[in-house]
Amino acid sequence: MTSLLRRPLVLLIVVGCPLFFAASDLHAQPNEIRKSLARIVNSAQESNYRTPWLPGQTGGGSGTGWVVSNDRLLTNAHVVSNARFLTVEKENDPKKYVATVEHVAHDCDLALLKVEDPGFFKDTKPLPLGGIPEIESTVSVFGYPIGGERLSVTQGIVSRVDFRAYAHSVVDSHLCIQIDAAINPGNSGGPVLQGGKVVGVAFQGYSGDVAQNVGYMIPIPVVEHFLADIKDGRYDRYMDLSISVFPLLNPAYRKALGLPNNDRGVVVSNVQSAGPCAGILKQGDVILAVDGHEVASDGMVTLDGERVQMAEIVERKFLGDAVEVAILRNRQPEKVRVKFDRPWPYPMQATAYEQLPEYVLFAGLLFQPLNRNLMMTYRFSDMRIDYLFDHFISREVYQEHPELVVLSSILPDPVNTYSNEFREGIVDEVNGRKIKTLAGVAEAFAETSEFYVIKFLGTGRPLVLERAAVEGARERIRRRYNVLQEQHLAGH
Amino acid sequence: MNTPISAAFFFRVLLIQLMLSAGGMSAQAPGSDPAPPGGGVPAASGEGAAVGIPATAVPVRGGKPSVLRVSVTNQAWDFIRPWGKRPPFSRRAVGTVLKGGRVLVTGELVANANYVELETPDGGSKMPATVEVVDYEANLALLKAEDPKFMEQFAPLDLAPAVVGDSVSAWQLESTGTVLATPSALTTVEVGRYPLDDSLLLVYRMTVPLQFRDASFTLPVVRTGKLVGLVMRYDNNTKSAELIPAPVIEHFLKDAADGNYDGFPKPGISIANTRDPQFRRYVGLGEGVSGGVYITGVAKNGPADKAGMEVGDVLLRIAGQDVDRDGNYLDPNYGKLLVSNLVTRFFLGDTMPCTVLRKGQRVELKLKMARRSPGEFVVDPYVIDRAPRFYLLGGLLLHELSRQYLKEWGAEWQKKAPEEFLQIEREQEKLFPGGGRKVVILSGVLPSAATIGYENLQHLVVRQVNGVPMNRLSELPDALAKAQDGMHKIEFDGEPGCIYLDAQAVAEGDKALQRNYRIPLLYRLE
Repeated sequence: MTSLLRRPLVLLIVVGCPLFFAASDLHAQPNEIRKSLARIVNSAQESNYRTPWLPGQTGGGSGTGWVVSNDRLLTNAHVVSNARFLTVEKENDPKKYVATVEHVAHDCDLALLKVEDPGFFKDTKPLPLGGIPEIESTVSVFGYPIGGERLSVTQGIVSRVDFRAYAHSVVDSHLCIQIDAAINPGNSGGPVLQGGKVVGVAFQGYSGDVAQNVGYMIPIPVVEHFLADIKDGRYDRYMDLSISVFPLLNPAYRKALGLPNNDRGVVVSNVQSAGPCAGILKQGDVILAVDGHEVASDGMVTLDGERVQMAEIVERKFLGDAVEVAILRNRQPEKVRVKFDRPWPYPMQATAYEQLPEYVLFAGLLFQPLNRNLMMTYRFSDMRIDYLFDHFISREVYQEHPELVVLSSILPDPVNTYSNEFREGIVDEVNGRKIKTLAGVAEAFAETSEFYVIKFLGTGRPLVLERAAVEGARERIRRRYNVLQEQHLAGH
Repeated sequence: MNTPISAAFFFRVLLIQLMLSAGGMSAQAPGSDPAPPGGGVPAASGEGAAVGIPATAVPVRGGKPSVLRVSVTNQAWDFIRPWGKRPPFSRRAVGTVLKGGRVLVTGELVANANYVELETPDGGSKMPATVEVVDYEANLALLKAEDPKFMEQFAPLDLAPAVVGDSVSAWQLESTGTVLATPSALTTVEVGRYPLDDSLLLVYRMTVPLQFRDASFTLPVVRTGKLVGLVMRYDNNTKSAELIPAPVIEHFLKDAADGNYDGFPKPGISIANTRDPQFRRYVGLGEGVSGGVYITGVAKNGPADKAGMEVGDVLLRIAGQDVDRDGNYLDPNYGKLLVSNLVTRFFLGDTMPCTVLRKGQRVELKLKMARRSPGEFVVDPYVIDRAPRFYLLGGLLLHELSRQYLKEWGAEWQKKAPEEFLQIEREQEKLFPGGGRKVVILSGVLPSAATIGYENLQHLVVRQVNGVPMNRLSELPDALAKAQDGMHKIEFDGEPGCIYLDAQAVAEGDKALQRNYRIPLLYRLE
């Protein structure tokens, strides 16, 4: 479990400042690039998961953005996350322009900004987008990293192109380009150029004690996917097959499935019941091709002459699209169509941003749905919580508990003075009603009952509260703990 | 002539540092040697013993000592590489001579013992010995000298319980054979945890400054010439010692007297306090009742289950004693103690009366006392003195899940061992009510021709092999005989679902596997 919470990748936002320039790309087209870069300063406020009725801490940082179309700036989602107030600055322009986030994609760490004052774009020119740079070719990274006040440019070579995790949401993986240029905090969102064209967006690296000279950038296919997704005015997120596959390298396994020895096909090892393949693919099906691209026995496909993971085909899809999957089922070839009707509905393992934390406070007991933000806030010691969090998807915990409601903390009061042993408990039932979501908890507490009997998962006695005691404590707790609001449920 | 001395001195210092750093590594790496179990006085005690009254020599009555030295060489099985044992290590302890020429030591001392030897206090003569009875849950063992005549030179000690405040002394042996007694007094008597996680038995505590000596394990604690307890844990920083007390030793000896040791009974229940007045009113504990504990779990087929106890009952009386809200009773000698101390006074087959409150009615129950041996659990709580069962199938390493296996992840095993296995261990009563089976797991894969493509599989629960449910590893050979079309089908709980092995390739690869990885045997099912 700890491995899921550990974040070796560092996001590159920090306090940095104005400009300076010296690099081949800058020399090549100095004006266009210089004028089209912006330093973004974010005054952010984090959500408060510990006392969710109160506003969270304010802080902030800065990053880099660049003009991607006539009047829009592109940057990283993590540069503008939780923003309460955003300003952008240009070189040789003393003015601070107010900006707003038009679209943010936390699953691929990209955001599009709007600047209220059209004067900002007066002499900017959208930077042209390139493609995937060649391995070993040179690129230049532009931005406002730590170590000085002005624009910084570093150069490096493209080390590899791979599918890997994006640290911003923790759970998402996309195509990613590794370069050996020094990318530092503040570089985030900045363009990486080659031959006058943007070939990537600098976004993450390792802290110095893990690895040196390793920087990562978001490649253009991911940027273009984002820009295409928001064309209809809404960001729908990435689509996913929500299946697991197992490589078919073992000759005995191939023989058992009736496959020839031709290094083709992977076997479906799990189909998520909440995913788009539920009812279409089955465990044991062999995937031979996706959208006509042959799948090798190690799960790779060839796209545009490159061997990439099978998932890369789905990466290019949008909400409403479909893929055609050629399978072998019970030794018979079949073709099935998988339509992407919705993004993955249970994102609790992903870090959330901008969301007002949901909670129910009852008799001083704080109930919150389990998610990564809560895990990071509380550092629970109960191993059951770790298990259910880590296996929420793999064990389909969501079927029984679309939300896992945790008694996360207690505001001490006479009404709950014997309730401490229940802290970190996951609510299973309230007054005999099975709890599936936080809303279910709120409904059960809203009912009038002499006793409120709360059963938690695992063995242990139920927590019992008397209505009279709860009502007697209500005003006292509100006043003492400055509780501005007793519950917040999304969509209410 | 100073030079060689200082060189030797430096060498020793260097050696200590090396040992320290080696210890630090072993704490982290799963599968490395565990530190020898506790109970001993650590060698680093240094000058710390300046506290308290100095130790004095105990006169030897009638020329016969009551303690002797015990040397034990232990060698635990390796649960990660189950075909082998870990490197042996030796410890020396003090044994207490009891009536009948038997020697009492802690159970920990003889866990996985290869060789036990008795030695007169002055080291004059030695005698091989065997473990006659051992109870790892009560942490006690009785040793028997190979030649009973060896014991004639000792005077046995009687047992006597003690109470808080009693003056006692801990006995240690000098290299000359002199018994040194360090005086102290009992500070606490309570029901506490024994080294095996699930054991809750009576414990005496005291503070006593003990210096490291040649044989520092299982020290006897004596009061007016009678054995009060054995030191089972000692914290060198706080100088606090935990003792296995005389009442637990007496129960152990009485049980062992008939030559057929049964162990301490367990009722098979879990309880919760009823301190919360709101909760008391909810379960119907009115003003007239002051105590009672809530039954939160009843193990299937355990004594309480068979007697008809139910989850939700409130336990009011047990063995003729009132149970308070925290699960304590009032002991005439020790004051408030957890009721489990009443339970463990019984012997297997005894009947223990209980009174529970159920829906406002008092119900009398009679529990026929019993105990579950470690092997009767789905996940064995410990595996000591027995080699782990395993099966190396073409490179797939299959085991039966046990807590001993999980403990290979070190002191923090409950956090570091594979989550899926920990979950099964925690929830075994719920997942497999009534037990009667084991959980067969795939711990990892030794890469071989038969397992190409499976190298990364590890920490999986094996559900079926060739369609046969895997309820214990001994069922595997029969299941393997049912291969279809020359294929073994191995199905897992969770991903990757299932895999296949070529039965012929497995059979043909066995020799190479043994040779390449130097594995003495490919399976052990008993």
